[in-house]
Amino acid sequence: MDLGINGNGVNSDVQSDSQISHLALDIGGTLAKLVYFCGNKKLLKNDEVQSSVKAGGRSRTIIQGKLHFTKFETSKIDECVAFINRKQLGSHHPKDLDNDRIVVKATGGGAFKFADLFKEKLDFCLDKEDEMDCLVAGANFLLKAVNQEAFTYIGGQKEFVQINQDDLYPYLLVNIGSGVSMIKVDGNGKFERVSGTSLGGGTFWGLGKLLTKCNSFDELLELSHQGNNRVVDMLVGDIYGGTDYSKMGLSSTAIASSFGKTISTNKVLENYRTEDLARSLLRMISNNIGQLAYLTALRFGLKRIFFGGFFIRGQSYTMDTISVAVHYWSKGDAQAMFLRHEGFLGALGAFVNYNKQGHDNLILMQQVQKHKPEPDGTTTEEEDSEYASIDCSVYID
Amino acid sequence: MASPGKNLKPEICGLKGLNQEPDDKNQLVDKEAGLSGGERDMAPVTGNSIHRSGSRPQLDLSKAEIQGNFEERDPTILLPNQSDDISHLALDIGGSLIKLVYFSRHEDQSVDDKRKRSVKQRLGLSNGNRRSYPVLGGRLHFVKFETSKINECLDFIHSKQLHRGAYKDLPHWHSDGPENENAIIKATGGGAYKFADLFKERLGVSIDKEDEMDCLVAGANFLLKAIRHEAFTHMEGKKEFVQLDHNELFPYLLVNIGSGVSMIKVDGDGKFQRVSGTNVGGGTYWGLGRLLTKCNSFDELLELSQKGDNSTIDMLVGDIYGGMDYSKIGLSASTIASSFGKTISVNKELEDYRPEDISLSLLRMISYNIGQISYLNALRFGLKRIFFGGFFIRGHAYTMDTISFAVHFWSKGEAQAMFLRHEGFLGALGAFMSYEKHGLDDLLAHQLVERFPMGAPYTGGKVHGPPLGDLNEKISWMEKFLQKRTEITAPVPTAPPGTTGLGGFEVPLSKGETLRSDASALNVGVLHLVPTLEVFPLLADPKTYEPNTIDLSDHSELEYWFTVLSEHVPDLVDKAVASEGGTDDAKRRGDAFARAFSAHLRRLMEEPTAYGKLGLANLLELREECLREFQFFDAYRSIKQRENEASLAVLPDLLLELDSMNEEARLLTLIEGVLAANIFDWGSRACVDLYHKGTIIEIYRMSRNKMQRPWRVDDFDAFRERMLGSGDERPPPHKRALLFVDNSGADVVLGMLPLARELLRRGTEVVLVANSLPALNDVTAMELPDIVAEAAKHCDILRRAAEAGGLIVDAMIDSADGSKEGSSFVPLMVVENGCGSPCIDLRQVSSELAAAAKDADLVILEGMGRALHTNFNAQFKCDALKLAMVKNQRLAEKLIKGNIYDCVCRYEPSH
Repeated sequence: MDLGINGNGVNSDVQSDSQISHLALDIGGTLAKLVYFCGNKKLLKNDEVQSSVKAGGRSRTIIQGKLHFTKFETSKIDECVAFINRKQLGSHHPKDLDNDRIVVKATGGGAFKFADLFKEKLDFCLDKEDEMDCLVAGANFLLKAVNQEAFTYIGGQKEFVQINQDDLYPYLLVNIGSGVSMIKVDGNGKFERVSGTSLGGGTFWGLGKLLTKCNSFDELLELSHQGNNRVVDMLVGDIYGGTDYSKMGLSSTAIASSFGKTISTNKVLENYRTEDLARSLLRMISNNIGQLAYLTALRFGLKRIFFGGFFIRGQSYTMDTISVAVHYWSKGDAQAMFLRHEGFLGALGAFVNYNKQGHDNLILMQQVQKHKPEPDGTTTEEEDSEYASIDCSVYID
Repeated sequence: MASPGKNLKPEICGLKGLNQEPDDKNQLVDKEAGLSGGERDMAPVTGNSIHRSGSRPQLDLSKAEIQGNFEERDPTILLPNQSDDISHLALDIGGSLIKLVYFSRHEDQSVDDKRKRSVKQRLGLSNGNRRSYPVLGGRLHFVKFETSKINECLDFIHSKQLHRGAYKDLPHWHSDGPENENAIIKATGGGAYKFADLFKERLGVSIDKEDEMDCLVAGANFLLKAIRHEAFTHMEGKKEFVQLDHNELFPYLLVNIGSGVSMIKVDGDGKFQRVSGTNVGGGTYWGLGRLLTKCNSFDELLELSQKGDNSTIDMLVGDIYGGMDYSKIGLSASTIASSFGKTISVNKELEDYRPEDISLSLLRMISYNIGQISYLNALRFGLKRIFFGGFFIRGHAYTMDTISFAVHFWSKGEAQAMFLRHEGFLGALGAFMSYEKHGLDDLLAHQLVERFPMGAPYTGGKVHGPPLGDLNEKISWMEKFLQKRTEITAPVPTAPPGTTGLGGFEVPLSKGETLRSDASALNVGVLHLVPTLEVFPLLADPKTYEPNTIDLSDHSELEYWFTVLSEHVPDLVDKAVASEGGTDDAKRRGDAFARAFSAHLRRLMEEPTAYGKLGLANLLELREECLREFQFFDAYRSIKQRENEASLAVLPDLLLELDSMNEEARLLTLIEGVLAANIFDWGSRACVDLYHKGTIIEIYRMSRNKMQRPWRVDDFDAFRERMLGSGDERPPPHKRALLFVDNSGADVVLGMLPLARELLRRGTEVVLVANSLPALNDVTAMELPDIVAEAAKHCDILRRAAEAGGLIVDAMIDSADGSKEGSSFVPLMVVENGCGSPCIDLRQVSSELAAAAKDADLVILEGMGRALHTNFNAQFKCDALKLAMVKNQRLAEKLIKGNIYDCVCRYEPSH
């Protein structure tokens, strides 16, 4: 069974029923991502079922609601547990026949690591989904089902890209979590991890924390906005006395060596502004990822590169740097694209997988995403409001 | 151009090898310096009996500014009124290091003796026969200084007068510019601008800035083409040298890791393009490392990494997957998922992490990244070879391993990272190459000999203190090292084997202690440029030729030979000191030699690849070079003399005995005699013990009587058939035979000379091939003419042949320069082989030997060094006979599955 895209709006004559929720988890090395659906049960009319779900003449329940996205630091996994507990998420999930525990789809390394914790605290049985499967399923879902999901970011301008679904594959998916995975996607469930790098979001945060004593990833990002990397990086102009190395096509402002100026013998860490260090670090990592991604795309002849993962977080500067790197190395031939829900690919993929594996009652999810394009705009009452929730409907047997 | 110096030179020496007079000694010194002598250019010799007097013609002719030049040793090439061309020095001034490449020139031949002239005449050999202009021999030195201590560099240049253009007489280095203060030094690197004023001010020279990439590429191309085994791979702590086919060198990817990283696609000489790069490079490692660890130097940071454990810093796959692999996508639990991914921990600060761990994590992050990007670029442009260079690597084993691992990992084993021994000097070498018409660009591997002299600052190692002015200072320097109980730091190893782990992803197996503080220095010797060296033309396939028979990469083999050589040192020192009259000075030099050679041995034991690819021949040659470095030019002089005399005394009897035999019996007896006489070998411990038990002829006879066929390797019948034929058919004699001789004394006099005589009698021209420089008790080309002359007194065959070959002057003919064209006798000639080692690498032989080989159709190699240790497996285009007695139990077992004193008579007809 496949995800059929239902272009119609949500049926309005809903017979209100009890609140219902479903969730899936992506517990990475740094962050735990949560995707959950909240909605009200409604009984579909039979003909509607027929028209949308080709599953025989059975009667279905359609739940209309919203898909929510939220995250926690993995080191504070207890907060995540408390959140789930408070919202009573997953209470409608089917139960494992053997041990009567609530079955919850989860992916990421933490799905293994924290399995016992979830069992103990929430009586959850984490149903582990492969990380890459989830990433790809999540990305494929978003790119196919959600309008205005992908966008380019050049010179501070965000521009949504309309992607012809028949021409989507193959593409390169670059997931920037703690580390970076580069996945060549050829279709639904058809993909290969072709490359990756250990210089990822974890490196930014980890090195950044050591260098700046920041307390959070966000704080570090914030710092980087106010920094000037010229104090820290050795630029081409620094080496060639302010002139370009034009013979090699290097402008004087190109970074010759990240952190190359901090070898100065008469300065120590404390003599540098934390803002500048953060800025330099961000550029180093973004630039490197952009370069590797382009080279990898080139190698496999992929036209599109989508960047996702928690490192990006809609950070304009990060996206800008990655875009510039791809643009620079491809000499303008390739463009970096980003996903609005980039941080939740894995969790979303795990959620979508409820369907794939024919789980007894949660069959199908359909988007009807009519939300504001700007994620930071209007907010709802939820804590996770910085990520656009998605209006959608879910069919249940 | 005629050289006034040459004209003034007294006509001396040549035939007096056995009776050296003071003047001859001077000539000997010259010759050695010209061929391959040690670092004597650094050592002006004063107050020592063997050194030249101050009244050399050179001083009369040279200009004031070069009188203080220690390196110039040969008067004949100094010409007056030369312009101030200083093109023998080039610099690469980087942010952290200054690399200096300089060339000290010396003429390759300073002895124009009768033998040489006659050989030249007969073989039609002239100077520079392969070129329109002569390329003079010399040495290419590699030295580095810290940029922050640029004054030391300036002092060094000044003290050696490198900026004064001492070699302005080179005809192809002429500058047409005005006699000037506008002297120019080629330089590259960022500092070339920065320090231009300083150079002008301190040395009065202008810096001519060369493009950095141009220099890098030119340097790399030169090295890869000109130096054998320049490139090596480095996987899991194991270094392996790679022999590159020059015709398949291009295109390649050159990755230069300086502060940043440049990736250059090289398509040929001067044809290249910077195709990629990354800003995450050496500067990032050092910069971030400094901020995080407070290290004071790059080397300190590198050393820290050696003791690190990155699992406290990096987030590993296992950390994410609860200790499990993510096997589905081929990631092991120890794979780094995220560099520095663990330092996000809230309750730890920078101070809570070990600097060692941080350094290692940084190193792996950066090396791995560079390897990955390099591979992707190589793939993109279809390049098979990737060479990594630049200061980031510095011969650091772990860095190389990490890069290699990354390339291996991402290419799934299809691509290999390669490194260059002279990698730190690419830029400086390229700047040096940028001088026009220095004639070095088309030098080939066979013209370069690398030596590893002792003492600062002779090698590419760091400079320790001021340059050593003379031998005396060098000896003091050696003595100081002993007192300090420090090891010699001049030629430096990369790192002992086994310090690195299972590959880039793994934690090093051994931590700490094993890496020496100077491990980042480079293992670069002095390159001796000897333009007269050529590839022996009779080699069947020079490309696949490997001189060494014994592979020293087998550690037990290495250990064995180190022990043999070490045990031999005291005896050798005794002889060496005695050869110099046993003076206090000689004793002091002897001690210094012992110290230096032992230090070399220790270093090589620790790191067998420290000086490049190591074979037994290299080891044996190193010993001879080391002796010469401390001015022991002929340790066995008196022993050789005594044995020659004793053997010559019994030669007439032996010849009578031989002449009484029929042809067939004589041939066998001659071969037996060669094998028997080969027992006289001071290089063999076992034989030295034997000598105390009898006279030469007794031992010779006893030895010959024991020669019972079949020998362990016995192709005598095949050889006899080629010589004498079977039945009625008598094969034509060989046209010319090259006889590679071995030891002085009985070996050459009672073994090889009678064989030569037999060949002459059959109408075959004979060329005796002997060492250019002394090695143990091996006979040299300088000594042979006298020995032949002495032997000829009792034998007409030898006399006529020697006269025909110009070895002795026919008393009947008045010939100052007499031509022997009229002679109807086949000649006996002597040529030098171009080396000063007990072994011979046939890829590097003298041009006169190469010329002599042209008409030769028989090669006879005699003795362990030249027929067993080297060339046992060599294939020739002509008939070849290899004769030796095995005087070493281990070698006998290894090579011929036999025992000590077994004999080898290997005959291989031409293919």
